[in-house]
Parts: sequence; C-alpha cells; structure tokens
Amino acid sequence: MPAGPAARDSRPPGPYVGWISMDAFFNQAFAGLSMASILLMVALGLAIIYGAMGVINLAHGEFVMLGAYSAWLLQTYFGFSILVSLPVVFLMVALIGLAVERGVVRWLYHRPLDTILATWGIGIVLQQLVRMGVGTDSRYVARPTILDGNVVLGGVVMSNYRIFVVVFSIAVLAATWYLLTRTEYGTRLRAVIQNKEISECYGIRSERVYAMTFAYGAGLAGIAGALVTPLVSVTPTMGTYLVVDAFLVVILGGVGSLMGTAVAAGLVGEATALFSFLLNDTLGRVAVLCAIILLIRFMPQGLFPDRVRR
Amino acid sequence: MLEASALFSYYGKSPIIQDVDFRVEAGSFTSILGRNGVGKTTLLRTIMGLTDAITGALRFEGADLARMPTHRRGRLGIGYIPQGREIIPRFTVRENIVMGTYARADGKRSIPEFIFELFPILRDFLGRRGGDLSGGQQQQLAIARALAMGPRVLLLDEPTEGIQPNIVRQIEDVILKLNREMGITVILVEQNVGFARRASDQFILLDKGRIALTGTGEKLTNEVADEYLTF
Repeated sequence: MPAGPAARDSRPPGPYVGWISMDAFFNQAFAGLSMASILLMVALGLAIIYGAMGVINLAHGEFVMLGAYSAWLLQTYFGFSILVSLPVVFLMVALIGLAVERGVVRWLYHRPLDTILATWGIGIVLQQLVRMGVGTDSRYVARPTILDGNVVLGGVVMSNYRIFVVVFSIAVLAATWYLLTRTEYGTRLRAVIQNKEISECYGIRSERVYAMTFAYGAGLAGIAGALVTPLVSVTPTMGTYLVVDAFLVVILGGVGSLMGTAVAAGLVGEATALFSFLLNDTLGRVAVLCAIILLIRFMPQGLFPDRVRR
Repeated sequence: MLEASALFSYYGKSPIIQDVDFRVEAGSFTSILGRNGVGKTTLLRTIMGLTDAITGALRFEGADLARMPTHRRGRLGIGYIPQGREIIPRFTVRENIVMGTYARADGKRSIPEFIFELFPILRDFLGRRGGDLSGGQQQQLAIARALAMGPRVLLLDEPTEGIQPNIVRQIEDVILKLNREMGITVILVEQNVGFARRASDQFILLDKGRIALTGTGEKLTNEVADEYLTF
C-alpha cells in the first residue's frame, strides 16, 4: 500500500494485488465477458457464412447496425422493449440478408474474391441508406425495465442486463449447435459443405441451403446489434468496429468450429477488456492484435483446427 | 425407361459425349464399357446433370431430364454411386445413409431394414465416421445410401475399383441380387469384362465419346474385348 492519505483516497477501496484493485479488475472482466457475448453472436454468423459458402461477408457489420436500428425503430415508434423486439429484429435482418444473397451474393459463389468486393459495396450502400433515411445522429435505446438493477458480489457490480446478454448469447450458441448438428436442415448444410455435387444428386437443393444459411447468419448479426443498443450508441458506422473484432474471433477460433468461435470470442473480449484496463484503450487494442498475430503465426489453423482426414 | 438420342455432353466447350443414342428398359442390366478416358464416367454424370451443358434428348420415364436440375433428377429415383464412392467423410454411417432418404418422394427418413441384411457390417458401424471406413466398407455405404432413396435405377461407376478381392465378389453378388430379385434397373460402368458379360442384358461400348458397339451380353466376345478394351 502506498503511503500518504491523498494517494489512498483517490483509489477505490477493496483488496489490492500490487497496484491493481481486485474489484476494478473483476468489474472490467465482467464487462469484457458481456462484450465477448455480443462478439460471439456477430462472429457466429460470420463463421457460418464463411464455413458454408466460403464467402467473406464484409457487409456483416452493417447487418449488426441494421439490427440496432431495427430495435431503435421498434422502440421509438411502437414502444417495443428490446426483449419483445428480438424475434422481430431477427426476422427483419434475416430477410434483408436473404435479399442480399438472392440479389447479389449467389451470382458470385464461384468467384470468392469478388464476393469480398461486392459485400463491401453492399455494406457502404446500407450505411448510406441509413444515413439518408434516419440521419447521422447517435440514437439511444433504453434497456428493458425488467432488467434494471444490478447483482452485487462483494465489490463487483454486475448489471442484470449484461448478465442477460451473457446468458442469451450462450443460448444462441446452443441453439445454433442444435440447428447444425441435430436438425435435417443442419445435416443438409453439412452435406453441402462437404460435397455439393453428391448432395444435389440426393435431392438437396444447395442454393436453397445457401440462402437459408446466409439469412440465418444475418439474423444472428441483427440480434447482436439489437442487444448491444443499451450498451453503446446507435450510429451508421457502429457495425464496423464490432465486425473487425468478429473477424479476429473467426480467424483465431479456426474455421468450421463452433467451439473454437465461442472460446475465441471469450478470449478476444476478455483480452480487450483487460489489456485496456491494465494499459489504456489504444495500447490495449495494440496488445490484443499483437497477441493474435503471434498466435496465428504458430497456429495458422486457429485454436481448434479441423483435424478429420478426408 | 431411360432414353437418349443424339446426346452431346460438354465440359466447357469440349464435347466429351458425342452423338450417343441408347435405350435402357425397366428392370434390365446395362454395362458401359471402354478404355480409360472414353467418357464412361461422363455419361453417368450427364444422366445426373453434373456436366456443364448437354444437347440432344435425354428422357427418364417420359420426364425430360435434359433441362432438369440435379436435385430433381435424384428425386425421380435415380440413385448415383459415383467413382471413388464420395461418401461424406465427416458424417457418421447413419447420417450418410439417412442422406439418401432426402431424395425420397414420400418424405420418409427411416433406413429400410433390408439394407442391413445386405450389408450387416454397416449396422455395427452406424456411429462411426464414413471417412474412417475401409474402401470396401465405403463402397457398401455408398450403395446403401443410394438404396435408402428407394431407387428405380442405380448408376454404378466402377464399384469394385480399388477394393480388396474378397469383397469384390460380395459387392458383385449384391448388385446382381438388387437387379434380379428386387427388380432395380442397373446401369454399370465396369472394367471387368467377366462380370459385365455374366450380369448384363445389354452392353454399351464407348470409344472416344461415341458408341462403338452395343448388344446383348453374349455379343461381348473376347475379340470385341481385345479390340476395344485392351491397351
């Protein structure tokens, strides 16, 4: 403990390890966990779309943004709480995703590089449409009153809403796992991923599977966007920041692994929160990026590579 | 049942199958023979709609196959067992067989019991991954997958290629049994003249993408085999 009453007063109370307040540490870790949960939902959609079709969807951040604006719209004009809006937002953004897939992406499946450019362009168009339609002002969405309040554990204050986000994202992960491994749609999708030709010979319409998958991934992004609204302000460019982290998560987790995506989302979310806490926001970002570059240098396939022989 | 006339089939701009006519009767056994690279596999892929383009007529029980997408051809009851088997490696044996039922018209998803009577080993391996089976077991699985759809016709592409000799006989017997006892039409691409002669009602001999000779099994003499099949 440092000497002098002035130094002691300016620091939060509670136990310390060295110069780090344990309460502040755990509060930051919890904030990191809730951001990791949002990240997980964004990254799941990205990973599924990339894993299934090899499409790097640079418009994914805009799907997040559209989800956020949908939540704002539903709250401002219809008075819906986010909890009520979630299924509606999922459907709205999934439909937009479906339109993007049917209108543009499906023509480019055999030209993967061009899908990057095309989806980037779509992202810019969507951003600009929102700017023109809603304006550039930041919008705010109130968190549902039912989730007001905090859970206090010692010196750690966890808002009920953030706890809800964490639990909800785990539920989304479980639902996605179930959808992919235990339903007929999932089996069809996994068949098409592994052998498109033979899947079609056995009656599977691969293009319909692709369209559904793209829409599902977009819908997940929309949900993430809606859920993040009480935590950050809603702007036309909000998706960009999230999607960069989500790409890092997908690369770190290893393509084609739900488990990898989940673990990587946790790692990136926590690392960002803790590095920012120990250093500062900017240096924290730098540290996270360096850590990921190092990891990928030694594990190019990501943390959970697919080791099955073909 | 299956009829082609003036059929051309292309990869890119190259016609691989050229001016082919044939007719396969319901319940019959047809062998397609020829040296490597004469278009035997392409002919089967043409029937499934897996080549880039075709011209000419191709009809299955009155339906026009020529302009039909692949997934609808499967649902007509055409079971394709491709070269190299192409089972799904990361699917379990059960998932691989159930995948065959996706082509069923009646929407049933249960695995018909007779499949396990034909291939008892598959019942023991239901939970294993397809990619972990031996070549012979994978071939049995590929046939089982096609049978799960309740096929009217089976297209088999060199089903005994690269398989240990003691299983070859077993697979040949199953193919014969499916045709003779269950009445499933069989179209078989084969290098083994002996089996083709023994099993076929009709053979089609391809050379450079065209039909060189067709006829009944007895017409497939050693002289014919020497001329068109030896290297």
